[in-house]
Amino acid sequence: MPSASPFNGPGFDFTNQVRNAFILEKGIPLPKATSTGTTIVGCLFNGGVILGADTRATEGPIVADKNCEKIHYITESIRCCGAGTAADTEFTTASISSNMELHALSTGRQPRVVTAMTMLKQYLFRYQGHVGAALVLGGVDSTGSHLFTVAPHGSTDKLPYVTMGSGSLAAMAVFESYWKADMEREEAIALVTAAISAGIFNDLGSGSNVDVCVITAAHTEMLRNYSKPNERVEKERAYRFRPGTTAWKSEEIRKLVVSEQVTPIGGDAMDTD
Amino acid sequence: MNRLKAGEVNLGTSIMAVQFDKGVVIGADSRTTTGSYIANRVTDKLTHIHDRIYCCRSGSAADTQAVADNVHYYLQIYTQLNGTPPPVEVAAGMFQKICYENKDALSAGIIVAGWDKEVGPSVYNIPLGGGLFRQPWAIGGSGSTYVYGYCDATYQDGWGRDETVDFVRNTLALAMSRDGSSGGVIRMCVITEDGVERMFVPGNELPKFWEGREVLSGPAKKLVTEGVMPMSVE
Amino acid sequence: MPDMAALAHPQQRQFNPYSENGGTILAIAGADFSVIAGDTRQSEGYSIQTRYAPKVFRLTDRAVLAVNGFAADGNMFVKKVKQRLEWYRHAHAKDMPLRAIARLIQTMLYARRFFPYYVYNILGGIEEDGTGAVYSFDPVGSYEREACRAAGAASSLVQPFLDNQIYFKNQRPAAGTSHPAHLPLPTVLSIVIDSFTSATERHIEVGDGLEMYVVLAKGRTLQGLEGIRGMQELTATEDGERVFIVRRDLKRD
Repeated sequence: MPSASPFNGPGFDFTNQVRNAFILEKGIPLPKATSTGTTIVGCLFNGGVILGADTRATEGPIVADKNCEKIHYITESIRCCGAGTAADTEFTTASISSNMELHALSTGRQPRVVTAMTMLKQYLFRYQGHVGAALVLGGVDSTGSHLFTVAPHGSTDKLPYVTMGSGSLAAMAVFESYWKADMEREEAIALVTAAISAGIFNDLGSGSNVDVCVITAAHTEMLRNYSKPNERVEKERAYRFRPGTTAWKSEEIRKLVVSEQVTPIGGDAMDTD
Repeated sequence: MNRLKAGEVNLGTSIMAVQFDKGVVIGADSRTTTGSYIANRVTDKLTHIHDRIYCCRSGSAADTQAVADNVHYYLQIYTQLNGTPPPVEVAAGMFQKICYENKDALSAGIIVAGWDKEVGPSVYNIPLGGGLFRQPWAIGGSGSTYVYGYCDATYQDGWGRDETVDFVRNTLALAMSRDGSSGGVIRMCVITEDGVERMFVPGNELPKFWEGREVLSGPAKKLVTEGVMPMSVE
Repeated sequence: MPDMAALAHPQQRQFNPYSENGGTILAIAGADFSVIAGDTRQSEGYSIQTRYAPKVFRLTDRAVLAVNGFAADGNMFVKKVKQRLEWYRHAHAKDMPLRAIARLIQTMLYARRFFPYYVYNILGGIEEDGTGAVYSFDPVGSYEREACRAAGAASSLVQPFLDNQIYFKNQRPAAGTSHPAHLPLPTVLSIVIDSFTSATERHIEVGDGLEMYVVLAKGRTLQGLEGIRGMQELTATEDGERVFIVRRDLKRD
């Protein structure tokens, strides 16, 4: 594979590793990564598989994003929910999505869910848990509907209903109480929504809205913000500031429109025919 | 030394394999844990390696799956190159090589069992450091420590299929009842020349042994159940 | 199974008597009133212990105390302050003045200098001269009188907002005008509500419910408080200062 630059090989760049270890030893903590302290779930039903996710992203106790997307695209009929380090889940799913497209192009077939699952587990196992992605992978292929979890160290489980993230216990409690085999589409969507809602209200790491994705052999339906149980309430006051509120020490006004005169020197105009 | 990495998915397991005249019986509980949370209560720890070779996995889920996937892959190549199915010894040897050479990075305790035309049924135990031991029966995982005595006292040479299946089922039920990291259902496979038969014992149909009783035959005094009111809280 | 090799070495064990239960409190002093508020969520880690655990307590008709940090210490501390105030009533046949309660709290906190109550206290109420006052404390008893203060999990979000809206920090008044020294009660209540709805949106440990206490100086009108939804009077004595509570819902996610 040709590398983008002869000086930088492909893959992760470890050049700052020693420097960062030194900084850490001096007592300065490493920057916090945005984590999707999350509730994500998946559930098989009669005609396919349903994935669900909340939409809160956190940095420690602070809400970094109130409406982020945690259901990632792998292929048209395979999707993947991500929990853990946001950057890792986003990059890992994007990279596997790319490889799945190339795989489809080179084989001339629609790739299977197990293919994505195997690529994910081998990638995560290679990084021994340092790539902090906990995933729920679901989709429909020529062999039927499939649902997997992939843990950060690279282990996988295949089950009819799964949960992951900090809200996984709250969501699993709903599944263990109400799940049954061969549910109809609407019933399964309601169950997934209830499981995510349990995470949203009972787990501080999860919050805001419910995203749902319904995958069947015929087509995939991404129901973004399927349920919005936490609409923003109106503020009591309007916080608009009078122009001139902010003090300044000096003022300089510059013209941003640049006009220039171009004089061609010799030669003919380039022939574009 | 803590071999397991922090936050890792663990197969805190009870696994087992026993040889009999016509084949082998392998069995396992179904519990997968992350700390105290049961991540999967119906896990299949009996992993297909080749047509007549299976392995029982214990330790880190990620490590044992990765190793099993690798051996599975190499045995497919082996079969294409040689035109014959691999002997169990070859499969066990591959497991052993991977486990020994990567002992610093792996926490995998694996039992390999199966049938081949060279020696018939065989069971190989590959414990944590990457040793390789052929045994008539092998047990492994955290639950196995509770049932060594039972196995030593019960096992006999020359058993048939049904006696061996009963032995595996009873041993695993005992291990699961004592080990908190084991539990769920029992999965078993009987591997013979003719094929692989899967068996399943649901969690509510596990064989029962002595489970204790009220100390000194019943409550010491009659419990007051009438007029009990909830405590008022300030 | 215990690892026998690990047990051969000396091992250090530690018991940690403290925990952190989230939530946020704040208080704002007006010219002749004081508002003391707190959310009602109590949490540990990513779990909610309860959606209703009060953090703001009426001490007397002119003093309200908000406590935040380790809930067990907070509850115990309020209990002991209330006990000391009752002893004072028995000895002197009157309620302790606000500035005296502030000094008492300092003494009680510093008494535990080397095993502190893990709480931030904000005391609000009316001084003997009839002015609204807010006293804020650190866990070991350092305190000062201020016009406004936020403490707890979202204090780093709320305090800058208060600095801007109460003290008019970073706001230049229009030519020929100046910023008011004190804000009217309805404005203060709106700022308090907006502080908590905003903190609830951006801090995971804040939410569920809001309790705002209003202490009104002796003989004052309700100053627009009469029209407020969910208001309730808690005053115990006749013709002195008056205490009110206003409750509001906050988001529960």
